[in-house]
Amino acid sequence: MGARRGARGESRLIRYLILGSWALFCLAPVLWFLSIGLRPRVEIISPQPIYVPHLSLEAWHMIWEDWPMARYLRNSVLAIFGSVLIDLVLAIPAAYSLSRYRYRGRDDIGFYILSTRMMAPAIVAVPIFFLFRSAGLLDTIWALMIVYAAINLSLVTWIIRSYMLDIPKELEDAARTDGASDMRILVEIIIPAIIPGIITASVIAMIFAINEFLFTLLIASTPNAYTLSVALANFTGGSDGLIYNAIALVAFLAFVPVFLVVVAIQRHLSRGLTMGAVKG
Amino acid sequence: MARIELRNIQRKWGEFWGVRDVNLAIEDREFLVLLGPSGCGKTTTMRMIAGLEEPTEGEIVMDGEVVNGVDARDRDVAMVFQGYALYPNMTVYENIRFPLRMRRIPPSEHDARVRRAAEMVELSEFLDRKPAALSGGQRQRAALARAIVREPYVFLMDEPLSNLDAKLRQQMRVQIKYIQRKLQITTVYVTHDQIEAMTLADRIVVMKAGAIQQIGTPDQIYHDPANTFVAGFIGSPPMNLVAGRLEGGTFSAEGIRVDGLPDRLGGDVVIGIRPEDCTVADEGHLSAEVFGLEPTGDVTYLTLRAGDKLIEVKADRSYRVPLGSGATVAFDPARIYLFDAATGERLR
Repeated sequence: MGARRGARGESRLIRYLILGSWALFCLAPVLWFLSIGLRPRVEIISPQPIYVPHLSLEAWHMIWEDWPMARYLRNSVLAIFGSVLIDLVLAIPAAYSLSRYRYRGRDDIGFYILSTRMMAPAIVAVPIFFLFRSAGLLDTIWALMIVYAAINLSLVTWIIRSYMLDIPKELEDAARTDGASDMRILVEIIIPAIIPGIITASVIAMIFAINEFLFTLLIASTPNAYTLSVALANFTGGSDGLIYNAIALVAFLAFVPVFLVVVAIQRHLSRGLTMGAVKG
Repeated sequence: MARIELRNIQRKWGEFWGVRDVNLAIEDREFLVLLGPSGCGKTTTMRMIAGLEEPTEGEIVMDGEVVNGVDARDRDVAMVFQGYALYPNMTVYENIRFPLRMRRIPPSEHDARVRRAAEMVELSEFLDRKPAALSGGQRQRAALARAIVREPYVFLMDEPLSNLDAKLRQQMRVQIKYIQRKLQITTVYVTHDQIEAMTLADRIVVMKAGAIQQIGTPDQIYHDPANTFVAGFIGSPPMNLVAGRLEGGTFSAEGIRVDGLPDRLGGDVVIGIRPEDCTVADEGHLSAEVFGLEPTGDVTYLTLRAGDKLIEVKADRSYRVPLGSGATVAFDPARIYLFDAATGERLR
C-alpha cells in the first residue's frame, strides 16, 4: 500500500517535472523579451553576461511618450473587433446554410470558402492594394477590418459549421413543428447552442488578426491606421538603430491580451481546433 | 375534427423506397400506432404527416384539405421525438412555452397554459431547471408537456419511450394514454415495440419495407394476422411458424404432424401456432428435445428444438424439465393458422 502510494507520488512528480519543463521552454521567449523590455538599452547590447539586471522603465516611457502607442493600440483593437464582428455576421448564416440545407454544389461552395485560406497572401497583395486605393480606403481602419475579416472568414465559417453539424437535427425539427421559422430557429436554437464555437472561432480570428503584418503594412502608411504589429517595425530603423527594448515591450503588450483570452477559454479552444481540423 | 388521410403516399430516395403505396385514414381522436422494425418507413410516414418530409408522390389530406407543400410550422401538429429534442439553452418552463411564443398565442395566456401542461405530466417542480439537470423520464415528460401545451390538431410521437428503462416505460405508457383520452387529440404514435402498440393503440398499422402489411385493432392484429410477417412480429414470444407440407388435411414437417386441417388446401404451407395455444401433454403433435426453459414467475417458457426450428411453448408456471430431455406438446387445432409458403399470405 505504502509503496504503491509512494510510486504514485513519484509518477506525479515526474509528470509535473516534464510538463513544467515544457511550459518553461515554451514561455522562455516570452519571459526573455519581457526582461529585455524592462532593462535599459545599454545593458541589452552589452556583450558581457549580466547576472543582476537593472530594471528600467526607459522603454515603457519611450513607447508611450515618443510614439502614439495608444493610437496604435486603439487601431489594433478597433480593426480586430470590427473584423471579428464582420466575420460572425457573415459566417454564421453561411455555416448554417452549409450545415443544414441540401442544395446542388453545397459541398463545392464549402470547399471553395475553405480554399481561400490556402492562397499565399503575397499573390493577392498587389490587387488588394489597388482595390483599396480605388475605393479610397487606403490608410484607414475600415480597410484593415475588411482585410482581416476576409482572411479569417473561411476559418470562422468552417469552425462554426463543425459546431452546427454537432447539433442534432431533431432539435430543428422540433422547433419547426413548434412553429418556428428558419430565422427563429437560427437565432433562438442554433446560436445559443454553439456559443462555445462562436467564442473559439472569434478568438482564433483575433489571434490571426493581431499578428497580421503584410496587409497592414500595405494598407497603413501613417499612424492613422498603424497597428501594434506594424508599429514594431518603427523601432527597427532610423537614426536610433534597433531599439530592442521597445520592440520587446510592444511585442509583449500585443501578446498579453491574446494570452489572457486563450487561458480563459482554452477548454473550448482545443475542442474547436480539433473539430475544425477533423470534421468536414 | 381532426381527420387525416394519406392517399397513395410514396417516398423515394434515388432508387430506395422509403415508403410505398401507403393508403391510410386516421380518424378523429383516434390513437393510431405505426408499428414495424427499424427501416420499415414508419418514421418517414410520420415525418410526412408532420411536414418535415415531402412525399415523392401522393396526397396528405387534413380535414379535407391537401396539405402537401405546407411547411411543418404551418401544420398544427405537435411532435414528440425519440431523443426528446429539448432546447438545451432554455429552462423547462421556456421549453414548454416555446410553441406558444412561436404560434403567437397571447402572452397573457402563456403562464397558465405552461403550468397546466406541466401539471398534467407531473413536472411542476422542475420548471426552472435546464434539460441537462433532468433525468431521462423527466426529459421525456418535458417533451410531452411541450407537445400538449398548445392542444394541437394532431400529436405525433416518434418512439418517445425507447430511451427509458422498462419500468418507466410502462408508467409513461399509462400516462400517455391517459393524456390522450383526456385531451381527445388525434394521435399517431411510431414504435417498434409491439407491447407499446398493443397497449396504446385504437388501431395498429403494421409496416414492413415501406409498405403496410395490415391495419386493424390490436385484437385483430393479434388474433387475425394477415401474413407470416405480422404473425411473427406480434406477441411475446411471437407466434411459432413452421414450414412443411399439407396434404389431405394433414400437415407434416420434421418432428411435427398435425391432422384435422382443412383438406381443401394443400401444398407447401407454413403453419402458425401461438405459444399459449400449445400445451405440454403426454400425447401430442410434437415430440422434441428441450432446448430451453425460462421460468418467469407467473409462467414458464419452454423452448423445443424440432429439426432446425425452435418452438416456443407457454407452460404452467410450476412446469420444470431438465434441458436435453424430451417433451411432448399438443396444439389446439382450432387455433392453428395456415399461411402460403411462397407469399406468406394467410390461407386460414
